[in-house]
Amino acid sequence: MSQSLHIAGVKFLKALAKHSDIIMQAYLSGRVNELDHNAATLDKLIELGVLWRPEPSEDLRLRSSIRSLLENNLRDERNRQLDANVGSKLAAIKTITSHYKEALHHQNYTESEVYMEDLTEQVYGLVDSLKSNVRNLWRRIHNEFGYVGSINAKIRENELAQSQLTDMRKQLEMFQFDELADIAGSSRELRRLLVVHLQRCHSEISQELSIAQSKLIDLLGKFREYLHRSQLLKGFVLHCQQKPDYQVKNYAELNTVPALFNQAQAILKPASIDVNNIEHEGLFADIVSHLKQVRHSKGNKNERGSQSFNVNDIEQVDIESDELKLTVEQYFCQVIDSGNRLSALEFHQQHELELDQEEWIYGVINGFQGLSLEEQDFFEVGTSGHVHPLFNGNYIIEDVELGLR
Amino acid sequence: MISLKGQVLETLLSGGFICKTTDELSYQFLQNTENFADVEQQLNLMNRTITATSDEQVYFCAYQVIGDGERRAVAQQFRDVSSSLLPLVEWLVLVQEAKGDNSPLNEGKVVRLNELQSVIEDTPAFSEQLSKIARYNLFNSTSSAVDAQLKLVFKRLVDLGYLLKPNPDNQIYLATGKIDYLFEVIRFIDDSENLQLAEQAEEAIKQGDLL
Repeated sequence: MSQSLHIAGVKFLKALAKHSDIIMQAYLSGRVNELDHNAATLDKLIELGVLWRPEPSEDLRLRSSIRSLLENNLRDERNRQLDANVGSKLAAIKTITSHYKEALHHQNYTESEVYMEDLTEQVYGLVDSLKSNVRNLWRRIHNEFGYVGSINAKIRENELAQSQLTDMRKQLEMFQFDELADIAGSSRELRRLLVVHLQRCHSEISQELSIAQSKLIDLLGKFREYLHRSQLLKGFVLHCQQKPDYQVKNYAELNTVPALFNQAQAILKPASIDVNNIEHEGLFADIVSHLKQVRHSKGNKNERGSQSFNVNDIEQVDIESDELKLTVEQYFCQVIDSGNRLSALEFHQQHELELDQEEWIYGVINGFQGLSLEEQDFFEVGTSGHVHPLFNGNYIIEDVELGLR
Repeated sequence: MISLKGQVLETLLSGGFICKTTDELSYQFLQNTENFADVEQQLNLMNRTITATSDEQVYFCAYQVIGDGERRAVAQQFRDVSSSLLPLVEWLVLVQEAKGDNSPLNEGKVVRLNELQSVIEDTPAFSEQLSKIARYNLFNSTSSAVDAQLKLVFKRLVDLGYLLKPNPDNQIYLATGKIDYLFEVIRFIDDSENLQLAEQAEEAIKQGDLL
């Protein structure tokens, strides 16, 4: 019998592989377009239980068992159903246990072994379906219900997931381990399966579920917060549009300023640089080397602009005669007028000049040297003085005598 | 070198906001109760105190006691905040709609200027909205090109501390905790003036659906 089952199974899987295109198309689009495919192929698929026609006038659709197989395998986000019919499965487990025990009682060991195998399959199947339900929930939580667009849809999806989760927890309550322990009795095999294994999985799954639940509630809160924020923004814009003269109440004038609007003024300003700080010398040098010399020609445009100037002869400049020069001229004139020799110091005494004697003598020498060569020829200058006692070659003039030639 | 505490004090005293995005180290530092008390003590010397938004996501510096001088400063700050409220809100709505997001910007969210720009340029309604926003005093743009308007708006927002540009070469911006502060302000105004902003928005959406 198992041989024929094996052959039929392989044939079925081969058919699936052969028509995978049609099946995937049906999976993705939800229906099969009958005009695109060979009628014989479609008939064969219907016969195999892959496709079915819900109503005579409807298109062909994929059977739900095939669809859930694909969904599970592809971890498709569209799979949002949780199969949590624990009650019926538990009932099946209990029934098979009774069969097993009866077979044992009649010492029918081959039959009991088959029942044991069946029972193991049932228990593992139950655990697997519970675990995959939890995985399914987590998958949705992890991508934050990314498969729906609007925030409202996300909130609805979250609510659906929460209700499914509550259902699952209710189903989990149906596990009554005292009853299962009674059924298992003293059989080691049965205790291992029904009590130890199931209990471990049960506690694992309920723990996961409670974490998932708190996460779902968190997410719901987050979505609500997003929604609220969006609505606040839009509401504010709308409010300002509807009431253009709206002004926010001045909360700063209230006796107790709300903490939100109590903002201290900035009091820190950038610190000044300290050029005496040797540690910063390198930095300053770097800054200075990067300075660009900018010469602003503001304010001195006149200086930079062209100027006009005369190229005529320079006018004769009259050097303003000072007192010394005038007195020297007077002295010369007196010498010319009298025709006698007259020493400079005698003139100084005659006229009781206020000038310093030395300065006067310099003035006279200067006056004589300042004359042109021709004029100098009319005069004769004699100097009286003494040789410097220490430094030879130095002659100290004490007086000057001027006379006509 | 300045210590972490000094850095925190400096930011607070220069009117900055500290959140996880702008300065994670300082934020962690303030999360520690001991450090918090320490900084608080230092600030109290200057008649200042640390305040946080209700969810403790953003810290900033407030006056401990409000006298006449402080009231003037607070009033000035308030005028700044309230006058920039509408432009900022409109900008947030624009960004949310252009990005096609479910939620408005909040702390740590990424805004890519180039993506935003191409969407806005392709959608006349958005570009109209942008030029309206850019003309507000807060941004004060005179340009009519989307590119220039958008760049100016983003630059101003970085200056004001609402956005952060982690890499100067990239046009990628991060929203800071100051945006969350903004939401708190709107929520506060909504609550205390009983404006029922959310209900208004919902009503408008429903009416839109009916039409």
